[in-house]
Parts: sequence; C-alpha cells; structure tokens
Amino acid sequence: MPTPVWNRCLEQLRADLPEQQFNTWIRPLQAVEDSPVLRLLAPNRFVVDWVSNHCLSRINELLENDSAGLTAARLEVGSRPIADARPAIPATGTAAAGRQGVPSARLGGKLNPDYTFASFVEGKSNQLARAAGYQVGLNPGKAYNPLFIYGGVGLGKTHLMQSIGNQVLAGDPNARVAYVHSEQFVGDMVRALQHNTINEFKAAYRSLDALLIDDIQFFAGKERSQEEFFHTFNALLEGQRQVVLTCDRYPKEVNGLEERLKSRFGWGLTVAVEPPELETSAAILMSKAAAEHVDLPEEVAFFIAQRIRSNVRELEGALRRVMANSAFTGRPITLDFAREALRDLLALQDRLVTVENIQKTVAEYFKIRVADLLSKRRNRSVTRPRQIAMALAKELTSHSLPEIGDAFGGRDHTTVLHACRRVKLLRESESRVSEDYQNLLRVLTG
Amino acid sequence: MQQLPLAVRPADQAVFESFYPGDNLSLVHALRETALIDRRNLMWLWGGEGAGKSHLLQACVSLAGQSGRRAAYLPLGDSLPPGVLEGMELVDLLCLDDIDRVAGNADWERGLFATYEGLAQRGARLVMSAGKPPLHLPLRLPDLASRLAAAATWRIRALGDEARAAALEQRARWRGLELPPETSAYLLNRVERSLPGLFRLLDELDLAALAAQKRLTIPFVREVLERLGLESGQVGSVASSGRGGSGVSSGRTDADTPPTAPTAVARRTSSRT
Repeated sequence: MPTPVWNRCLEQLRADLPEQQFNTWIRPLQAVEDSPVLRLLAPNRFVVDWVSNHCLSRINELLENDSAGLTAARLEVGSRPIADARPAIPATGTAAAGRQGVPSARLGGKLNPDYTFASFVEGKSNQLARAAGYQVGLNPGKAYNPLFIYGGVGLGKTHLMQSIGNQVLAGDPNARVAYVHSEQFVGDMVRALQHNTINEFKAAYRSLDALLIDDIQFFAGKERSQEEFFHTFNALLEGQRQVVLTCDRYPKEVNGLEERLKSRFGWGLTVAVEPPELETSAAILMSKAAAEHVDLPEEVAFFIAQRIRSNVRELEGALRRVMANSAFTGRPITLDFAREALRDLLALQDRLVTVENIQKTVAEYFKIRVADLLSKRRNRSVTRPRQIAMALAKELTSHSLPEIGDAFGGRDHTTVLHACRRVKLLRESESRVSEDYQNLLRVLTG
Repeated sequence: MQQLPLAVRPADQAVFESFYPGDNLSLVHALRETALIDRRNLMWLWGGEGAGKSHLLQACVSLAGQSGRRAAYLPLGDSLPPGVLEGMELVDLLCLDDIDRVAGNADWERGLFATYEGLAQRGARLVMSAGKPPLHLPLRLPDLASRLAAAATWRIRALGDEARAAALEQRARWRGLELPPETSAYLLNRVERSLPGLFRLLDELDLAALAAQKRLTIPFVREVLERLGLESGQVGSVASSGRGGSGVSSGRTDADTPPTAPTAVARRTSSRT
C-alpha cells in the first residue's frame, strides 16, 4: 500500500503530469519510507531513468514541503518483497544446503494448485500422455525418465506437466520440484553468468528431485544454454531424479537443438497430445465452468466447442467472456451470450467499412453501377439505392455528412440527412426496404 | 470585448466516470471488476481507432492505483523499447495498449511472453488492447499467440449518432460546459463524427466560449465552425433554421434531394485551413 506521504505526492504529480505519463511512469512505483529518504522502487531502469529525468526534482520539492520529515527520494529498480514473487537464483548454499527446510519451488515459478490430474479432462487426444504422466507423478524418477510431452500450443501440456509436479508433492511434500519455463532457464543462466553465480545456479538445479521444463523449443539456437542444460539433465538422470519436458513438436524435429540433446530426450518415453475432439472440448469447457461454480448448459458448451476446434486456450477465452456477460446481467448462460462472445473473439464483424465499399456493395446488391449512385440520375431505381447507401455510410462510418455528400457525386449534407430520414421511414413502413437494409448491413459487417 | 482564455485547461481525465458506455456496459463492468478484484484475469479489448481503448485501459489503471494497487499503463510502440516490460510482471495490474503495433517484432514478442508468464504465475491481471482480436494479430511466436487467445475478448461497440451526441454532452458536462442537445445534434450533422474528432472540437468550442463568454448556442457554434473552416455560412443557415425546414428551395425535384436544400453549397470554403 502507498505510504501517506507518497499518496500526497501522487495527488500533486497527477495534477502536474499528463495523465498518460502519470499512468505509465508514476503508477508502477512503490514507495518505502526509509527515513530520512523515501525509496521509490521501479520495475526497471527505464522507469528509473524517466522519473529521474522528468520529475525527481519535483518529488524532492514536494517532500521538502511535506511535514513527514523525509528529505529526498531515492529511485531504484526493485519491488517490495511479496510472498508470490519469483525469487532470483537462490543465494549460495540455499537450494544446495540439503533437502530439509528448502522450499520446494525455489527455482522457477510456483506450481498452479489448480493444475491436477483431477481437473485434467481426458479424451482420446491426450489419454496416453495423461496415463504416462500419472505414473510419473506416482513414481518420480522410476517410471519414465525423461517424460517428453509434445503437441501444439494450447492443448494442455503445461496443465499435464504441472499435474505431475503437484502429484509428486502430494506423495512427498518435502520433494524439491521446480517448474521452469525454458526462457526462464535461459534468463536465469544469463543472469548467473553476469553475476558470477553460475556455480550456485548449477547446484540449485542439480539438487532437485523433479525438474519440469516447459517449451524446450525455446532452447533452439542457444548453445550455451543447451550445454548447461545438457549437464543438468545428465546429473539429474544419473541421480534418478525425474525430468519432464514439453515441446511444441517431436524432439527430432526441433531445429537448432544439438543432436546429443535430441537423442537423450528420447531415452525415456515420448508422448503426444493431440487437439481435442469435439466431445473432449465440450467436456473441458464444462469442467472449467464447474471449477468457477458456473452452470454451463451442454448445448452452449457444444456450440462453443464446434466453432473453436484447434486450441483449448481459445475455448477458455470464449468461456471467460460468456461467464463475464452472465455475471454482469445476472442471467443464466445462453446461446446468445456464446454467439456474442464468439463474434468478439473471431472478429466475424471485422471488415473495413468505407464509403467506397458501401457504394460498391449497394450497387452490386441492386444490380446497378457505382457510377449511377454518384450520378445526377433521379429515377427511382437509382435514388432508392443511393439513399440506402447514404444511410449506411452514416451508420457505419464516422465521416461527416458533408463528406458523405461529397462522396456521392458532390451532394449536399442536407441531401444526406434527407436520405437518412427517408430510409428510416421506409424501413418502418416497407418490409422490403427493411429487409434490403438488413441484408446489406449483414454483408458489410460480416 | 474578448477575454483571453488561459492556456491551461483541465485535461479530460481518462477515468470510468468520463467514459460514455453506450452498448459497452458489461465490458466496463468487467474492467472495473478487474481493477478491483485480486484474482487472475486476462482481458483483450479491440476496436477501431477512437473506440476508446486507451481511455478504458487508463481508467482501469487509475482505479486500481487509487485503491492502493500497483498498476501500470504501457502504450506499446510509442518509442518505448521492449526493455520497458522488464519487472512489469510484479505489478498487480498491467494494461498494454496497442499490442498490434509490436506484433511480429521478435524482441517485443519474447518480452510479452515472459511478462505474460510472470503475471500468470503471480495471479496478476493483464488487460490488453489492439485493433483486432488476438487470433487476427500477425504474431510470430505461436506460444504467445495461443496464450493471448485465452483472454476474455471484447469488441468495443461503436456508438450510434444518438449515443455520440450523449457522449459529447456528457464530456461537456464533465468539463463544466453546457452543451444543449440541439447544439450537439447540429454538430453531428456537420462535422466528422468520430468521438476523438468530436472531443477535439469540444476543446476548441470550450476555448472559444470562454474567450467570448458565451454559451454553446447554435449561432455561436456555427460562428466558431466558420472560423475554424469547418462550415460555410450557407450550410449552417439552412440547417439552423430547423433541420432543413425553411431554407431556400432549390427548385429541383430530385427524389433524393430534400425539398429545402440550398441552391449553392460551399463546404469547407473558409480561407483558414
């Protein structure tokens, strides 16, 4: 929480600075009172630089005039310690100090407790991978080592991998399990090299009971990381510690990965996760909704699943959207909610609507030429489509009425106004016009 | 006698209170909730230019910040380097505007991926915006594309003319100006109708009204539009007499010409450009 003195500064800075600058550079600062200075923790050096250059003197001035007794602000990169923050590489001896008392997730990210085998929806597309993962979770280091899970993005590899980690911890709460994304492994290693803590880095990784490493395709082309990972991998396997890897393709197909790594990845068991079939997709949706205590009718689940076939994450996105609508309106989830969510996700209305496009579409619809729409001709077969096109241009674009008039052969803005009113009346009185207008709207907006 | 207005005017604040929701009520509700509830959430807003994306994202950051949360708003591609994402996974709410401006850039995509993962692991909230839904963006990193597709995706619904008029009147009230409905209707029939364009025009009208110490009546607004080169006297005189009620008849019988259209219309003829 911001300190009172920093709150007072914020109020003043908000008035001083353009709002966007305030939201970009000042909002992410965290204040810590460390009398006589106010430490301002910034996420990165860009924020530090910007604030130093643009408003540090103003902040100091505000502090001087404040009664809190702080004399100056000190900017630094950092963050107040929070329980969930990912720790950097453990300090010397922390992870390597022995099994007892060492937090199980000192390396990498926290395991998501929701990712368990119980919440993993099994189908034909993933049953082999699930069965193998389950065995590994029960007997880490013994069943299949390494376990290599591959498949396209968003199919549940990470869920499966973290379920294994959670299962290992359920069997032995003291087990040291690390879930690390490959990018993070590379980043941590680079930092360890920079800070001369590579030995600690090695020791931390090699003391694990289970290493879960996600998306190893990110190692491609990074030779130094591959080298380090190769040794870590060997050390763990020799010590009968479990290694689980995921990748977006079969190991042999990853370009830029050393042959010796590829071949070692194949020592254990390699299993594929395929895109879910329709029934599995629907079941996944219903299971995710149930986890949020939301009632998702089967017909809605199938409706969404039918339209999003490739990827579980997209299903999740559509579901979140449907649930948000239902929560806001307080109404049960309906097919209409699902339709709206899919329209937004799949951009079914995403067409660039321009006046030219409207003219072309209207001319085609009424089987006349665009030149007729722009001409001075006044017979009804032309004026009616022209009026409809003008009304559509007003509804679907932000052009001013004079601009729309201009685009229709240099007509006046009152002509456009008249056309819009006329079309409005006709749509109310003549079903044919109403139908034409709706059809054109549909064509133009997808 | 004309009073010189001060150059400093209160800026329009990008907060929820100054956003006219139109058909976007449930989206605004979802955003407010995201700003205030400490639970992992992932949202994606898309819409054309001027739809209100930046406004909504900043409103979200503002609300979260005011409630004591650490939040940041980053307009991507605005000469900011990808390094600006470093450490941003430690905020409670991160709003990334204009993702499409960095899509396809390998450094940015790697940075976004790492930030996404960091936020996800901490259960923090991420709200993004672009001109398109995530699936339509030319992202090169499939892992990033698939993760972003898990966002609850909302299209910002464009406002119709009536809602635009209401939004303009609300914005005027927000600035302590009174914009009568007949004046906003007058404006909508004459100028470019995108909301940013209308709000910019409101700036000008605000200044002019302050300088002249006048209210925003149709004759005064017409005068300002003429001065700005946005309107000719003739067009204004026809329209101001009651939406084409008693102008000079053109004598034409063109079925798509209103009976009261002027004979000669000079638009944008002012010497000021």
